[in-house]
Amino acid sequence: MSKEALFKEIFQANSKKIYHLCYGYTGDDETANDLMQETFMKVWQNLDKFRNQALISTWIYRIAVNTCLSYLRIEKRQPKDELTDNIIETKGEEISEKNEQVSSLYKCIAQLEENERIIITMVLDELPYAEIAAISGISEGNLRVKIHRIKQKLTELYNRNERF
Amino acid sequence: MKDFEALKSIWHDQVTLPKVSHEDVLKNLRKTRNGLASKLLIEMIGMGIAAAVLIYVWIASPFTMWTTHLAMIISISCCFYYILAMISNYRRINYDKLLDRPECYINHLKKYKHDRYIFNTRKYKVFSIFFTAGFILYFIEISFMTSLWVTVMVISFTFLWIAFCFVLMRTYIKLEEAKLEEMIQNLERLHKQFEDTDQ
Repeated sequence: MSKEALFKEIFQANSKKIYHLCYGYTGDDETANDLMQETFMKVWQNLDKFRNQALISTWIYRIAVNTCLSYLRIEKRQPKDELTDNIIETKGEEISEKNEQVSSLYKCIAQLEENERIIITMVLDELPYAEIAAISGISEGNLRVKIHRIKQKLTELYNRNERF
Repeated sequence: MKDFEALKSIWHDQVTLPKVSHEDVLKNLRKTRNGLASKLLIEMIGMGIAAAVLIYVWIASPFTMWTTHLAMIISISCCFYYILAMISNYRRINYDKLLDRPECYINHLKKYKHDRYIFNTRKYKVFSIFFTAGFILYFIEISFMTSLWVTVMVISFTFLWIAFCFVLMRTYIKLEEAKLEEMIQNLERLHKQFEDTDQ
């Protein structure tokens, strides 16, 4: 398989989830696209190292996580709480209830700490705990405790948000 | 009231999709790589021309004072130092660290940022001092060769240059310091979050 064909396959299999991770982390669609693009540019540059890896998605996630961490370092932009409101306001009635719920969920994720945002998007995307542990560098035991707390925190935030 | 399973189902219902295709990534990759390489090349050619001009002046002009020769050595060394610093800086842009654990990666970022700060401030300071010394030494011989009016002009220009470097440097270092401090704080906050301890 040529490098380009392999890259295409990897991109198609992982881009959506990586985009979700970046969106969850930044709370901004445009930045999420930029970060996703940056992640896959780095994937392309490291593709030869990946060729024989069993779990390529773990490495892609690791690159995405580190790219997101660098982003805050350089740009120092905090997640935009008002963004989801803007989406709802500008698109008005076009937005279905489902989309509104998704926006609300992203808004709540944006209120979590950076590592919590990263972990919870992977949990929501149903990545196995062992893989999340490998990506985040946290032992599985501690990760389970962390995930339990983040789930509770996110649920509370969402329900509180829904009441207002 | 929704539980986490309900949130998960909202998440899976989302239709938000990335607006970037794999072709866009590849197109951008080529553009970025070319952009970086040409920027580096332009800067290196610029400095190379400056060094070549200085070497030509040094060889072609019949300088008699040792101060002028020293000035030339200092100025040409400054040009080569700049080129070497640029090359080493370019080489540091590698992606090996991207596969590190986030905790180690954050440490790498901290170190990288600190090194860049040293490069941008202390080394710039040394660079300016040496370049200014080169100027002063060069103009010693010139002052003997030219009229008083030209000498006064040259000395004024040199002092203006020193003042400009000083003011610019102070402002620049201050800004860099503030930026670095903020970045380190952010990185430390992130580092704490990734520590593998149950808190």
